[in-house]
Amino acid sequence: MKTKNATGVGNAIDRVEGHLKVTGEATYASEFKVENKAYGQGINSTIAKGEIIGIDTSEAEKLKGVLKIITYKNAEKLKTFDKERPVLATDSIAPVLQSNKVHYYGEYVGFVVAETFEQAQYAASLVKLKYKEDATARFILGQNKDKAYNPSEESDHKRGNLKKGFSEADAIIEQTYNTPIEHQHPMELHATISSWNNGKVLVYASQQIVEDAVISISGTFQIPKKDVRVVAKYVGGGFGSKLNVERHLIMAVMASKMVGRPVQATVTRSQMFTNTGLRQSNIQVVKLGAKKTGELTGLLHETLAYTSTTQEFQEPCGSMSKMMYNVANAAVSERLVPLNLQQPFSMRAPGEATGSFALECAMDELAWKLKIDPVQFRIKNDTQEDLSQEKPFSSRLLVECLTIGADEFGWNKRQQKPRANKKGNWLIGYGVSAAARAAPFNETHAKVLLNLTNDTVTATLQMDATDIGTGSYTILAQTVSDCFNVPLEQVVVELGDSDFPITPGSGGSWGAASYCNGAKSACDNAIAGLKKNRNVPKDEDVSIAELLKMNQITSYESQSLAKPDSEFEKHSIFSFGANFTEVWVDKDTAMYKIKRMVNVGSAGKILNPKTAYGQVIGGLTMGAGMVIAEQTKVEPNFGNFITRSFADYHVPVNLDMANVDVIFLPEEDKIANQMGIKGIGELGITSVAASIANAIFNATGKRMRDLPITPEKLLMAEVEDGVTV
Amino acid sequence: MRPFTYTGTTNRNEALKAFTTTSHYLSGGTNLVDLMKEHVEQPDQLIYVKNLQYNGISKNKDGSYTIGAMRSNADTANHKDIRLYYPLLSMAMLSAATAQIRNMATNGGNLLQRTRCPYFFETSMPCNKREPESGCGALNGVNDQHAIFGYSDNCIATHPSDMCVALAAIGATVEVQKVDGGSRKIDLEDFHRLPGDKPEKDSNLEPGELITHIHLAKPELSNHYAYVKIRERSSYAFALVSVAAGFQIEDEKISKIGLAMGGVAHKPWKLIEAEEFLLGKKPIESNFGKAAELAMKDAKPFEGNRYKVPMGKNAIVRALMQANNIGE
Repeated sequence: MKTKNATGVGNAIDRVEGHLKVTGEATYASEFKVENKAYGQGINSTIAKGEIIGIDTSEAEKLKGVLKIITYKNAEKLKTFDKERPVLATDSIAPVLQSNKVHYYGEYVGFVVAETFEQAQYAASLVKLKYKEDATARFILGQNKDKAYNPSEESDHKRGNLKKGFSEADAIIEQTYNTPIEHQHPMELHATISSWNNGKVLVYASQQIVEDAVISISGTFQIPKKDVRVVAKYVGGGFGSKLNVERHLIMAVMASKMVGRPVQATVTRSQMFTNTGLRQSNIQVVKLGAKKTGELTGLLHETLAYTSTTQEFQEPCGSMSKMMYNVANAAVSERLVPLNLQQPFSMRAPGEATGSFALECAMDELAWKLKIDPVQFRIKNDTQEDLSQEKPFSSRLLVECLTIGADEFGWNKRQQKPRANKKGNWLIGYGVSAAARAAPFNETHAKVLLNLTNDTVTATLQMDATDIGTGSYTILAQTVSDCFNVPLEQVVVELGDSDFPITPGSGGSWGAASYCNGAKSACDNAIAGLKKNRNVPKDEDVSIAELLKMNQITSYESQSLAKPDSEFEKHSIFSFGANFTEVWVDKDTAMYKIKRMVNVGSAGKILNPKTAYGQVIGGLTMGAGMVIAEQTKVEPNFGNFITRSFADYHVPVNLDMANVDVIFLPEEDKIANQMGIKGIGELGITSVAASIANAIFNATGKRMRDLPITPEKLLMAEVEDGVTV
Repeated sequence: MRPFTYTGTTNRNEALKAFTTTSHYLSGGTNLVDLMKEHVEQPDQLIYVKNLQYNGISKNKDGSYTIGAMRSNADTANHKDIRLYYPLLSMAMLSAATAQIRNMATNGGNLLQRTRCPYFFETSMPCNKREPESGCGALNGVNDQHAIFGYSDNCIATHPSDMCVALAAIGATVEVQKVDGGSRKIDLEDFHRLPGDKPEKDSNLEPGELITHIHLAKPELSNHYAYVKIRERSSYAFALVSVAAGFQIEDEKISKIGLAMGGVAHKPWKLIEAEEFLLGKKPIESNFGKAAELAMKDAKPFEGNRYKVPMGKNAIVRALMQANNIGE
């Protein structure tokens, strides 16, 4: 799209909602002014499996301000699962407090409502629960491989003849890669204020997908969708944890009905470790074979992951392995083990972030074995066809990403031999990885309201889309500004309300493409409608103010939708990228620093380089976190998570990171959608871990296949065979 | 959080008088308040002592310094005399926590930091330190961050402070006010204790005693010094292993030395054998290596923290080398 004005699509403008956010004017879920609200606090189980056999609320009830203590004994009956371990989706029901059974440590077993947050919290700590513990609880994935099952035949992928493929190989590597449990931890805690009025419920919530929250609440309470309104004007980060409705919200809705008052529930940071989603641990086996010349002949990627004992979720770790390289013989499979741990769900780039670690480390291992440059090895195996779907890619600039990145980074200065680049106590290493992330585009509705006052048109866009910190308000304002050729000041964007037209919400890298195309269709529809009324030819350039005047109206409303077309269906649509990393590892302490990173992305039309840059930097940092120290540790005897605050759950700090260059290749993929947009929300995190781990190998000669790569692990690891120390 | 009463005072005697066995003195609160939120500490009363006039940094006649217990860690570490005469202390203090926490935390409070053992923090878990006789969850559980020296079957937790490791290396005395109004001095080495059969007691303070001052030994280790802290990220992480090293060189030989480790025991761990070995020796890598071997020879790691032995050796050598090469 040609940018018509200086603030339209493609310009690096400041966020239109930025001022509201930094001045505290942006209202997040728990900040809405609601009269007479009470506060609820969830009670967490302290066993991992068993039954509640006694509840003593007497001490808690005596406390001043306590209004209600809800347990399975007095909870409202909700819709419960009608089969064993149903698949968890973004619109799934979320029953809670429906039985005395406990399935994991930290599961909600009660909810205290009080006049103040502090009273509710203290009262929650005084409710005494007696349990009958079931000793058959299972916590450790690696110890329960025999319990694995195949969640879906469809997720298995096979092509060619793998046995033949490996027999044709001159070199084969087969390795196991482990990734730990991680938690999403958006800055804004999960929170809700829920209130009932005449049989209808209004829920202020921190949700990524408003429509699915409505479906989930109406399904759980068995009430019509029209009786549920969800408002999520601003969301302080989601990373997947706010895709679905979590149980604090259901308890708040229930409690609000029971006490006849609005109820606010804000989970604590430690409850963000037990009740609001996580990325489960994975054990991945990757086997790759290639000819001396570098052509891949076979690829095997088997993933073992855990799901909870109550619901099924499967992170597709093999998704990138299926489509990334030109390898005729491949098999990709995913298996699950039910464990008595918190329910996993999507965390940023579910499948790709973890799967790419295994695949792209394995690629590096095989390149080293073949003594082929790892950049060239990837280029050699490039393909313009997605062999798993037997469809051409709509666009794929991976080779360009790799070559431009290598150039910018100075890859030619890399020593192929590990431990060859030293400076004082430092071992210096370079690493590379390639990335791909699907670029979905989903049906999106939007409404635009035009108002003409004194020759000035104000365009108000309404969608139930969410801004999860990514800049949806800004890119939508830019889109509308372009469509009507009006300055940004004349555009109002209203989001996050289920009263507005339905969108797919924010998540899975589909937000920007879906939202902007949806908004554009509503705007284009307005212009077309106004022209048609006055018989103005479609391609005649008439200003929007003029069109309204010609129609002799001062206001106009248009609603429309955008959705994928047949070209979209005929292609495989992905964003691509390449990561280059330089690490410095201290030879004695095994502490390391990421000195610099170059990330090159080809992700369609970049709507706003500033917000896009922020997204990718955030993704890279989160990917670096996977390597540096992020992990939720499971207590092996009790099944609780022993990491329960930001003091123990180590995300990267500024000092861990250094110079990060993000380059977007100019690209407009018109097959992907009309505006040529592809998602970038998850491209940044994909494969970063592998590029750092590969750089650590290049620096130290140690293959680190278990994330995170902490100093204690790195120090104790042996140098690979064939590396000279 | 459990409700409590709050007593604020600027008068020492009032503070001491207000003390009861279920009270807690509150200074920076960076550790205590967290523990109260987790219901690990549940005092009936908090007595706010940060406003008592124990926040000076003063030079004594013999050239040593006394620092006030209520002075913030940040102010202490950045004080020009501390930077000049006790750079090891300054370096260790600045490696701790975050700028925000160092601004709030005080020197007295830092001495009384409680362990970061996860079993101590989770009230549903067994922990003899939090709840005597309940057992030690870490012994057969997650023990990657735990002690390799001086532990007992009752407790294998470590002391988390960086400041105290530097104090142990340079030498210090803690002055406390007793409830009856008198004062006493406790050598830093005797201030913290090993868990033995009373892991609930971190220090040898008597109930109600209030830390007022820390007297630093004469500044004799300010030419060659280093604090090496190995951790999982570059800031805001407790030490896996840390080493405070300071020494003096006369006639190309080490004439005075202080060496202590953090992250390895229930108290800052003085490396006495290594110190004795190095006295009179040349400050060269081979001697440092031998000293490190001596320092770690009695380490008894667990399944999860075997790494601390090689890491500890490397950290000792690195700290000594860094101290030796300072200014180069």
